Amino acid sequence: MTQGKYEPIIQVADLHKSFGKLEVLTGITENIGRGEVVAVIGPSGSGKSTFLRCLNLLETPTSGRITVDGVDITDKKTDINKVRQGMGMVFQHFNLFPHLRVIDNITLAPLRLNVAPNKEAARKAGMELLSRVGLADKADSFPVQLSGGQKQRIAIARALAMNPRIMLFDEPTSALDPEMVGEVLKVMADLAKEGMTMVIVTHEMGFAREVADRVLFMDGGVIAEQGRPEDIFSAPKNPRTREFLSKML
Amino acid sequence: MEGFFQFLQSSDLGRQIYQTLFYADRWSWYLDGLKLTLELTCGAIVIGTLLGMITALFSISSFAPLRFIAKVYTTVIRGTPTTVQLLIMYNVIMVSSTNKLLVGTLAFGINSGAYVAEILRGGIMSVDKGQTEAGRSLGLKQWQTMLYIVLPQAIKTSIPTYTSEFIVLFKETSIAGLIAVTELTKIANMITSQTYNAMVPLIVSAIIYLAVVMLLTFLFGKLERRLRKSDAR
Repeated sequence: MTQGKYEPIIQVADLHKSFGKLEVLTGITENIGRGEVVAVIGPSGSGKSTFLRCLNLLETPTSGRITVDGVDITDKKTDINKVRQGMGMVFQHFNLFPHLRVIDNITLAPLRLNVAPNKEAARKAGMELLSRVGLADKADSFPVQLSGGQKQRIAIARALAMNPRIMLFDEPTSALDPEMVGEVLKVMADLAKEGMTMVIVTHEMGFAREVADRVLFMDGGVIAEQGRPEDIFSAPKNPRTREFLSKML
Repeated sequence: MEGFFQFLQSSDLGRQIYQTLFYADRWSWYLDGLKLTLELTCGAIVIGTLLGMITALFSISSFAPLRFIAKVYTTVIRGTPTTVQLLIMYNVIMVSSTNKLLVGTLAFGINSGAYVAEILRGGIMSVDKGQTEAGRSLGLKQWQTMLYIVLPQAIKTSIPTYTSEFIVLFKETSIAGLIAVTELTKIANMITSQTYNAMVPLIVSAIIYLAVVMLLTFLFGKLERRLRKSDAR
């Protein structure tokens, strides 16, 4: 449940998702508040990524209802493209467009979707985002010339270029070399401070503890336990949470 | 020049070369033949590329009838000999046409389209599905993601196979003589029928084919290296 100070921006009701016979999500009901930073943790195969990918319909739920900003995205008549414009997503494997320069990676969607009025404006906004993630000097590089940490920061800038109200992170640091995790988490922490609504699937327990307003522990396709990070990490109630955390920390 | 011709006449092979290339300016026949061969090839590759692109998009469509059309087209064309397709086009489908070059171009174009479609489909399949997800997650529509993100990468991966298809096509036009298009191979036969010697006319044709193929390989190699710029460290 969302804590009192937040008005819900994402509402999930009885979400189920199966891949063939495999039931990955077995009934999730959850609200995410506006401006809230939610970390989703749990063992692999628990359904965290699938849950996140349902929120922007990269996976189509088998049943259940998801509303974003009051729009029912599980309704077939909803223009999901429009909704996705307001929800950025960052992937484990960055998924930068290898054929485009960094700046063009960032300006592609704003230009094609008329979020930016013209090329100059898009480029200017893109350059500002690049400065924000500390990579203004890489504007004309190709993705292959960048390190993992740089790629992920570009991917965050690319998602931010659409001025989203919500950012989804799918294990954003899991594919990084350890020394590059910090720079990406720093960008994410700054974003959280600015009041962005964020849902982060992560294995970085330290980060979840410091930055998240709330932690969801998923296991077996449901949210097994949730609460403030200090409660979850210091005094987990569910034995499965305790077992998971003891292995992680 | 006179001296060179006299020197040629002094040996048997020389006489054959003289007869093939210089008597009655026959070298200019080869030029005309090469021109037709190139016209056939270029016309066919344009038609083939357009058809191939449409067919490749059909073959990955979520709409089953389009996939079916693509499947039938590629199966029939790839499952029958080019020669038979050319003769059907000439003697059956376009029997009323007097423009043999057009008939040939269409036949080779339709033939090439099926191969280009498969090449492109392979290229599209080879693009990581994360690319599509990244595009869609930004709010881009399916067709925008295809056009701006997937296709540019798919085309780049397809270029080596695509250029070899171009070269195969170039050589395959040598059967257009069957429908009386006087391309390079037909020219060799025409000269043979006047000189009663097959070796030199055919070898001259072969050398011209080889030279063009080597030139194309060189040019496509350059193009490939340019496109690879974004892959370089």
